[in-house]
Amino acid sequence: MAQPAVLADIEGPTPKGGLSRELAYFWYFTRQDRLFLVGLVIVGLSIFLAAFGPYIGPYGPQEIDSASGVALTGPSGDHWFGTDNVGFDVFSRVIAAPRIDLVIALASTALALAIGVPLGAFAGHFGGRPGIPSLLSEALLRVLDVLQAFPIFILALALVSATGASQGNVIAALTFLQAPVFVRLTRGAALSNESKLYVDAARCSGAPERAVAFRHVLPNSLAPALIASSVAVGQAILITAGLSFVGAGVPIPKAEWGLMISQGANQMILGKWWPSLFPGLFLGITVMGYALVGEGLRKFLDPTNRI
Amino acid sequence: MRVVLYIARRLLFVVPQAIGISVVTFVLVRVLPGDPALVLLGTNATESSIQAVEERLGLDKPLYEQYWLYIKDVAQGDLGTSLITGNPVREDLLDRLPATLELILLGLLLSLLIGIPLGVITALSGSKGWPDRLTSPYGLFAGSIPDFWVGLILILIFYRYLDWVPAPLGQIQIGVSPPDKITGMYVVDSVLTGNWEAFKSSGSRLILPLATLVFVYTAPIVKMTRSSMDEVLNSGFVDHFEALGLSRRSIVLKALKNALPPVVTILGVLFGYLLGGAVLVEIVFSWGGAGQYAVQAIANADFAAIQGFVLIAAVFSLLTYLVVDLLYFALDPRIKY
Repeated sequence: MAQPAVLADIEGPTPKGGLSRELAYFWYFTRQDRLFLVGLVIVGLSIFLAAFGPYIGPYGPQEIDSASGVALTGPSGDHWFGTDNVGFDVFSRVIAAPRIDLVIALASTALALAIGVPLGAFAGHFGGRPGIPSLLSEALLRVLDVLQAFPIFILALALVSATGASQGNVIAALTFLQAPVFVRLTRGAALSNESKLYVDAARCSGAPERAVAFRHVLPNSLAPALIASSVAVGQAILITAGLSFVGAGVPIPKAEWGLMISQGANQMILGKWWPSLFPGLFLGITVMGYALVGEGLRKFLDPTNRI
Repeated sequence: MRVVLYIARRLLFVVPQAIGISVVTFVLVRVLPGDPALVLLGTNATESSIQAVEERLGLDKPLYEQYWLYIKDVAQGDLGTSLITGNPVREDLLDRLPATLELILLGLLLSLLIGIPLGVITALSGSKGWPDRLTSPYGLFAGSIPDFWVGLILILIFYRYLDWVPAPLGQIQIGVSPPDKITGMYVVDSVLTGNWEAFKSSGSRLILPLATLVFVYTAPIVKMTRSSMDEVLNSGFVDHFEALGLSRRSIVLKALKNALPPVVTILGVLFGYLLGGAVLVEIVFSWGGAGQYAVQAIANADFAAIQGFVLIAAVFSLLTYLVVDLLYFALDPRIKY
């Protein structure tokens, strides 16, 4: 975005200097906040596994080792995390699962952001004034009220069953469920930005209301939604796993953490713990990583924390 | 008087919301795949028998007429008949809801009793104290793992290896007759009727699912109590009380009262979530509650049953939010409506 020369002078550093200063601060921040660093490493690994997980395991995610191909053997040198009730290698499946879980979580969160943030900026900017846009934003909020009354998991379940259990439909259902959160967060931020001087300045410079809402208020109201999106990725993973656990998520025999836990569930009573324990552990660590990054980002973006 | 007026005004909001809920439920269920006539008749259905069933269920009428018929029945307390069990949905739900509610209510009650003191202690000792070193990692961990997985791990440890609890197969041992029905909650009823055999059996089966819920859902309560207490302890009135020389104990109690509203909110949110979310724990322990009924209904395209459950659950959460607002009203004298 090109800034008028005068403004750039007042603000001091050139855009390039500003960016490298941000990076330097980010680097400093990351080193002194260990938990944030841990979170970043977990998130990095999860993305790496989402890209390459299915190819780097000792076996294919749906391959039965014909040499020792026995179902439900405990962890050993051949099968680090044992084999499941079909005879699949649990370790290979556990590291292949991000390909499904992460893609669902990241895609649904990104879509929910793309839908929720503009709607939130719209509702925040136009709400409470006379005119049709205001009525529209009121209606939007009332619809969200009704949607919020539904138990979220049952709604997800009903949505996925309505459209059929598949990866794409899980993404659609999660998008639908997560977007309202981003609408509310962005609306709140937009409301608090309304009284700021830059909004008046934009108006005085002749910008139409639409541009004020989407080019000025929206970018300045992004932070809460962005911070929440990291946690939302984790929640999406949890809901995906839950849906698969009851058989309304990703279909068998795909390598997905919730599905794997569900397949091993009956073995728990018999003391065969490895088919369920490992996927749950990896799922938990991943969700934790995204939560840590969200917490770190909140601190990083909070100007009162800066020195 | 103010309270009555407030409740009346707040109830007015509930009506359009309830109508909204019924519309959403109705539309949602209509787009579910599966033909109820086929479900009812099986694969041997003929063209004419399908038509007859569709007529009987009102499926041949236009949507708005179906909705009107549906809403008329609901207003009279008739939620339709389940295609699978053959019983009225209302009875099915009344049979199963107590089991789910017993789990959720006892779980949240225990979570509160554990979570609030933990949150207060953590807030009082600050971010460098030992309580923080325990509750922060616990909160992070409990917030990241699926509850059904926790249930399975508890089964592995406490049933399989330690053998302290009975097998995770329902609310009461087969062969032990359930207590006489008062609330429908086995443990509560067996206490009320003094039926100790049923109490022993149902109580021991309640331990693990309860522990699962408490382990996972105490975490958000601790977190919320702690951050709310942090804020209140830093506010002016606490300084004022300190200057007045009040005892630490009474200052903490007064601060806690002011810190409670956000905790009430999170409690309402958890309850609303668990109405549907407890199904995962129900399945792990073969609990046979309303959640499991709903999952079965979805798998079988049992329209009336799904509709009934989603409607009841949504109305329950509406009422929960109402109660939350009323508690706010009671806890915070500054709120005027």
